[in-house]
Amino acid sequence: MLEVDVEVDRRDLTVRGAFQVAPGERLALFGPSGAGKTTILETVAGLVPHARGHVVLAGRVLTQTQAPRRAVPPWRRRVGLLRQDPGLFPHLTVRQNLAYAPGADPSGQETVAIAAQLGIGQLLDARPARLSGGQAHRAALGRLLLAHCDALLLDEPYSGLDDALRRVLTDLVRSLVAAREVPAVLVAHELADAQAFADRLAVLDQGRILQVGTPDEVVLEPVTRRVAELVGYRSFVPVTGPDGSVAGVHPERVAVGAHPGRGVVLAGPVVAFRPSGAGWEADIEARGAVLYCHLADRPATGGAELEITLLDPPFFGPDGALLPQASA
Amino acid sequence: MIGAGIIWLALLGPVITLLAHLSWSAIGSSLSAPGALDPLLVSLEAGGVTLAVLLLLGTPLAWKLARGTLPFPRFWEAGLLCSLLLPPLVIGLLLVFMVGPYTPIGEVLGTVHLSAVNTFLALVIAEVYESAPYYVLGAQAAFGAVDPRMEEQAALLGDRPAQVTRRVTLPLAGPGLAMALAVAWARAMGAFGAVIIIAYHPYGLPLQIWTTLQETGLASALPFALVLLVVALPLPLAAYIWSARARGRRRS
Repeated sequence: MLEVDVEVDRRDLTVRGAFQVAPGERLALFGPSGAGKTTILETVAGLVPHARGHVVLAGRVLTQTQAPRRAVPPWRRRVGLLRQDPGLFPHLTVRQNLAYAPGADPSGQETVAIAAQLGIGQLLDARPARLSGGQAHRAALGRLLLAHCDALLLDEPYSGLDDALRRVLTDLVRSLVAAREVPAVLVAHELADAQAFADRLAVLDQGRILQVGTPDEVVLEPVTRRVAELVGYRSFVPVTGPDGSVAGVHPERVAVGAHPGRGVVLAGPVVAFRPSGAGWEADIEARGAVLYCHLADRPATGGAELEITLLDPPFFGPDGALLPQASA
Repeated sequence: MIGAGIIWLALLGPVITLLAHLSWSAIGSSLSAPGALDPLLVSLEAGGVTLAVLLLLGTPLAWKLARGTLPFPRFWEAGLLCSLLLPPLVIGLLLVFMVGPYTPIGEVLGTVHLSAVNTFLALVIAEVYESAPYYVLGAQAAFGAVDPRMEEQAALLGDRPAQVTRRVTLPLAGPGLAMALAVAWARAMGAFGAVIIIAYHPYGLPLQIWTTLQETGLASALPFALVLLVVALPLPLAAYIWSARARGRRRS
């Protein structure tokens, strides 16, 4: 079990993070750049000396700033950290990189087996400069596996790679986390990355965790308007209720036509549209707001009115908090 | 390409001229004189001690400058630049006022029967002053080129700080450090300005060239210039080749 409850003063804001991750569980810290996600991860790794609070991993107190104080240095934490740059040592071969951790044997069975499992068995004697991005990330992952870390921290490791490779590597990490039964924490600023990886998602903004929930729960029931904005609700349309109440419009949760039983039905002219992926993104004007919607079919041109249904949208009061009940 | 060739040839000009003006008989008569090669030994010994001092004291300073762990880092760098900017001759004069026999430092040295004027110690001090800024600034750049994330990764994999230095920092900074050391060695071997003021004796090679020039003329002084070149060149050359190979290995 990884238990984290920390606070870090940065120049721009104070970052607070409190969460627990069970062995084999995967938590994603999701939020915009500068929200404090990496700061929390680095605090767990022991790289932020002025952090307050406590970090406990597998029963070992790694950080505790209240008496009895404790600050285990990074080299004794047994915490693995993967960043976007795989950080392979350029002067060592892949084999030496894999078995870098003290105690690991470069020519041992485990090194060879893990290299084979990761699909880099043929590259053991190559230098990192000859590896592709995906191979370098596999080697970096193997290096952590051979170090037998008690927790895995991933700081947007695959954000520079193409989608297919990113998905393959994410699946690989998922299966390894399950097999090794270690807690894993991913930092991501792309919701899709966080959802593809995690069992649970913590939404972070301005140094605060705003919501923790399952990946679908956070998207379908954001607890505040700010969380809704962060998870992709791009526009908000007025609804009846306390003054200033709105419904969140997620571009992908819009159905063409009136389906009164499934949500809020609106109608308005299409003011603009453009191709987006395999469908279309349209700007629809309704109730004084411009709604961004993804449509499967190309809308009619000439400002024709389009009827749409917002599928079970979340409602927010004037203070931005989720309204349990509201109506169109 | 043409520009590179011009500057390379221009820099090599004095060496070519030196070789053109040398004759086997002049070399033979200059180098066979009794005690003619003593200054060579003095230069090698003083250069070796100088490099040891630089490695021991200059390397930690360069590392701290590169990592920005010193308070007021610009102040420390400015100090280095000052010693780089002062003409060596002026440094020599100031050293007389700093470590000469009638100064507090000189008196302390005197109590242990040492002197920092016209001794081997004085020669080493002068060479350290002339070469240290080149080494420290070069080593700082070498350490600065090591990604701190590499060191962080090594620590997270279980390396203590001393192991990180041995297994990651030094190997990665090695080629740059070797080049900095090569430049410092060249500076130390050729040190003249400060040396002529505080370490006229014992002669190193540059002073031998100077005194021979004054006493018997250019023809008999030039062979010693060749000796200086031949003796000083192997270390920087080896450093250069090793450094290039180490960098090449990382790319292949």
